[in-house]
Amino acid sequence: MSVTHDEVRRIARLAELDVSDDALPLLAEQMSRILEYVAQINAVPASEAVKPFVPGPDAVRFRPDEVKPWPLAFGPAQLAPAFRDGFFLVPKLGQFEDAGA
Amino acid sequence: MSDPSEALASAKAAADRIVKVKRLNACLTPISELRKSLVAQASAAHPSGVLYGMPVAVKDNICTLEFTTSCGSKILEGYRSPYEATAVAKLKAAGALIAGKTNCDEFGMGSSTEHSAYGRSLHPFDKTRVPGGSSGGSAALVAAGAVPAALGSETGGSVRQPASLCGVVGIKPTYGRVSRSGLVAFGSSLDQIGVLGRSVHDAARVLSVISGRDPKDSTCEERDSLRLPTVPESLQGFVIGVPKEYFPQDLDPAVRRASDRAIRLLRELGAAVREVSLPHTAYAVATYYIIAPAEASSNLARYDGARYGPRFNGSEDVRALYRTTRGEGFGPEVRRRVLVGTYVLSSGYYDAYYRKAQQMRALIAQDFRNVFDRGVDLLFTPTTPTPAFKAGEKLNDPVAMYLSDIFTVTANLAGLPAISMPIGRIKGLPIGGQLIGQAFLEDEMLEAAYALERAVPAGEEA
Repeated sequence: MSVTHDEVRRIARLAELDVSDDALPLLAEQMSRILEYVAQINAVPASEAVKPFVPGPDAVRFRPDEVKPWPLAFGPAQLAPAFRDGFFLVPKLGQFEDAGA
Repeated sequence: MSDPSEALASAKAAADRIVKVKRLNACLTPISELRKSLVAQASAAHPSGVLYGMPVAVKDNICTLEFTTSCGSKILEGYRSPYEATAVAKLKAAGALIAGKTNCDEFGMGSSTEHSAYGRSLHPFDKTRVPGGSSGGSAALVAAGAVPAALGSETGGSVRQPASLCGVVGIKPTYGRVSRSGLVAFGSSLDQIGVLGRSVHDAARVLSVISGRDPKDSTCEERDSLRLPTVPESLQGFVIGVPKEYFPQDLDPAVRRASDRAIRLLRELGAAVREVSLPHTAYAVATYYIIAPAEASSNLARYDGARYGPRFNGSEDVRALYRTTRGEGFGPEVRRRVLVGTYVLSSGYYDAYYRKAQQMRALIAQDFRNVFDRGVDLLFTPTTPTPAFKAGEKLNDPVAMYLSDIFTVTANLAGLPAISMPIGRIKGLPIGGQLIGQAFLEDEMLEAAYALERAVPAGEEA
């Protein structure tokens, strides 16, 4: 399993993560090693008969859907980098890349 | 303790002890802030609480109102949560004092506490070594005697592994025993808050307080708080399994000697010990390092420079904002795991990795069920394959670092409770033994741990 520099760039775009060109060789090498290691699970024959294991309660519980006072010690204005009039402030939405980019 | 003056004295003494071990870089809270907060907390604490006046440090990925919650990451530097974790609220309601935030691998991703944006924590007995991770700061503070107990969190062994390396007790409860509300998410199907303590009793007392139902976490079971067992006279009637896969031929000989001694003591205490097999153990680390990064890549998508913590450049457009904030805010190990997680979930690879890993997880959980169904009550294994390793030794080899979790990840994958306790030393460095219990039978596990703790010469060379 060998991950190419282009694959790292593609995955980084999917993950919304800046990866500099300088970092590519080491990342590609380490990702290749990790993926090669974890691929050993394919040595065990696939078994569709095994019931998936999900930890925790068998059924998800829901809380009543009711409006309650804001339960926070302080509001988002104090934790967000930029917040005004109930909105998180961010730069304009950029042009989305083409699927193949 | 029920006197407010004693609680105040306890608060001041805890602050003094934490100052004394400052060189360990185990506590991230500035000491003046910590001192002030501890005194205020001691004045406000409820004297009738079962933990009244007990200082408990809290891992930096568990939300507190008193202190910042940075998860050992630059991307949450200075972040103050607007709410506190249910576990923290329960501790405070029981009269405990929150004794600062402890250093950890960034977002809990690591096994050495070297992956913290705030510098590595030192091993309390040898500064050239690591305290383990990711709850290394919590383990080091407890081992150094600064606090009797600390909260940590586990996704793949992050409480038990540092407990083993530092010579303290570490408990990972059953998935669903303790609320995850306020625990910053890493791998949601694996994450649990755990406890590190000087003794089984200290850790168990804290676990009992933080356990139990919570309407804020739908994965927390509808159960009462854990009731603590008494210390048993003997382990007559217990059947303890020893899984052969945890004793490979290349296991460190001293770890094997210490484990063999603990097994002999379990027998002498009256337990029936038998060899068992968990045949899919060899695939546990690989399974874990697909599922955990996959869940992490999703959970960490929220750190984008818009909603939490600082913002790094990227003023050009919103995508640039996300990418520069995440690229600069995350450290190398988190970046690596987010990329691996995104890869294994991406089109064309999902079936070969993620889907397959889910099947493996089911087989690993089935292995445990098979053993417990045959009359075994508990399993005994070493906690880690070696004692504390040198700082930097595994930093550039992620797979070698991941393999230090080899004996702990299975309990997380199967959602089972487990406890690590000191069972001896190798050239002065502690090593731990682990008891793995059945889901929600922590009381049985603690009974055996109490008995073993009293019998094992944990301070002696193995």
